[in-house]
Amino acid sequence: MNDQAKQESNSPIIDVRRIEKIFPGPVVALRDFFITVERGEVLVIIGPSGSGKSTFLRCLNGLEEIDAGTIRIDGISLDENEANRLAIRRKIGMVFQSFNLFPHLTVLGNVDLAQRLVQKKSRRQAAEFSRRLLEQVGLADMEDRYPHQLSGGQQQRVAIARALAMMPKIMLFDEATSALDPEMIGEVLDVMRQLARDGMTMVVVTHEMGFAREVSDRILFMDKGRLVEEGESQTFFRNPRHARTREFLQQIL
Amino acid sequence: MAPMLPMIGGHRKKSKSLDCLLLALVFAATGYLGYRVTMQLHYTWHWGDIPQYIVRFDKGQHRWVANYLLLGLLTTLRLSLYAAVPALVIGLAMALARISRSLFWRMTGRTYIELMRNLPPLVIIFLVYYFLADQLIPLIGADDLLQNLSPRTAHWLSLLVAPPATVTAFVPAVLTLAVFEGAYIAEILRGGIESVDSGQWEAAHALGLSRGQCLRHIILPQTFRQVLPPLAGQFISLIKDSSIVSVISIQELTYQGTQLMASTYMTIEVWLLVAAMYFVLTFPCSLLLGRLERSCARGAT
Ligand SMILES: Nc1ncnc2c1ncn2[C@@H]1O[C@H](COP(=O)(O)OP(=O)(O)OP(=O)(O)O)[C@@H](O)[C@H]1O
Ligand SMILES: [Mg+2]
Repeated sequence: MNDQAKQESNSPIIDVRRIEKIFPGPVVALRDFFITVERGEVLVIIGPSGSGKSTFLRCLNGLEEIDAGTIRIDGISLDENEANRLAIRRKIGMVFQSFNLFPHLTVLGNVDLAQRLVQKKSRRQAAEFSRRLLEQVGLADMEDRYPHQLSGGQQQRVAIARALAMMPKIMLFDEATSALDPEMIGEVLDVMRQLARDGMTMVVVTHEMGFAREVSDRILFMDKGRLVEEGESQTFFRNPRHARTREFLQQIL
Repeated sequence: MAPMLPMIGGHRKKSKSLDCLLLALVFAATGYLGYRVTMQLHYTWHWGDIPQYIVRFDKGQHRWVANYLLLGLLTTLRLSLYAAVPALVIGLAMALARISRSLFWRMTGRTYIELMRNLPPLVIIFLVYYFLADQLIPLIGADDLLQNLSPRTAHWLSLLVAPPATVTAFVPAVLTLAVFEGAYIAEILRGGIESVDSGQWEAAHALGLSRGQCLRHIILPQTFRQVLPPLAGQFISLIKDSSIVSVISIQELTYQGTQLMASTYMTIEVWLLVAAMYFVLTFPCSLLLGRLERSCARGAT
């Protein structure tokens, strides 16, 4: 490994500095927001509705453009350069609250598509890898079904497999279990837990505090577009520093 | 639910007798109109002379051949079918222009659509047709090409498109119709594209697909089922709108009707027949459209 590469692998994989996002209105969704995430780290983001959690995740892979500040992902800076944006998107997988599976494609088609279009894999190669991933999320025998033929939990696991198909270095989860019936939450959390164990860098927005406490390395609490406090997950729950955090935790725990 | 049933039944019966009454009224009014035309306007019906304008017996060839009106009907059909293809292409291109990220393309699409929808069709036809016929046809040297056709090619050309002598008018007419209809198709397609949940774009972008790939593989396939019924409806409009190219002497059904009326003075017979012939083209399309709408609605749920 040469020096530059060594330095790169030591630097944070996500490096966000003083970003700002203002929607027309104007609604300040993010203000003066900063965070770094290390390789293999699991960061959980919590905060009240409208505090900017989704907006932050969407800024990370360029689904929203930031109005100020800088974002660097794995050494590449997210800017106007279209090639950089695409390169960053390939490093980041994203899982949405509403699954957003492609309804006109089968399960296999959903997992396959980007491998063939973006990574230019052959149909056979893509299918082979897709089957491995579907097995990993416990859906080995479902590849020919269409999304509407699956339960919510199964759909979300397909969505995770679809994101993993691009072999991302970072996975973003935006309330991945919020749209699920209670009995299906566990199966999705299991998959996420396994990913964390395998060393995936993850940024997870969730209301599942048990999961946050168990799986995360760090917790970040945000409110009104600002970072209020962050810390090691163990100490964070035991003694939150800010009154606003305590108030929020009391509400949800 | 059960207590509702007698009331619904009652409604049915009541509306049935009302329907009968209305139907009787319509028949009476039609009869009265016919009577007025015959007695007051001293109109003499010549229905017996009409069929020969559809098909006539050619004594020289000893067989039945299509005459004015049937030829016109076939030309209308060809016009509509051929115009549908470039109209779809123009419509898709302009729909994509309308949703483009580039201001230039958005303005191009918008200008085109607004012009086509806010100018009288006749004006558009004259403008576009004379531009195409005057500029485009000589430019590609079609005239020379058409004069040196083998008889075989000429035969097929007149069967599938139009007689070689009129091709230089027919092709611009087809394109003119396409330019005109393309605006409506563009709006149908744009509506379809915009109705797809934005989460689909986001998921595709997040996977690294380019905008073009998103459109082609994710968005357009999902709009297809939705836009099929309105597109079929637009095709029916296209058949009807094709009558406006009669003003540039394309010998389609309406033009033939005008000519026939001028030479025979059988005004009412001719136009009733022309109306019936249009109906024969469009009504099956409408029936098909109804089935399409039902099956698309079923598939969507
Ligand atoms: N596309 C948009 N246009 C305008 N305002 C937006 C848009 N997206 C988000 N906002 C606003 O930005 C703020 C932050 O929204 P965001 O969705 O990031 O919150 P959140 O923390 O994810 O909330 P929730 O827990 O409800 O998902 C909110 O006030 C929201 O109304
Ligand atoms: Mg959110």
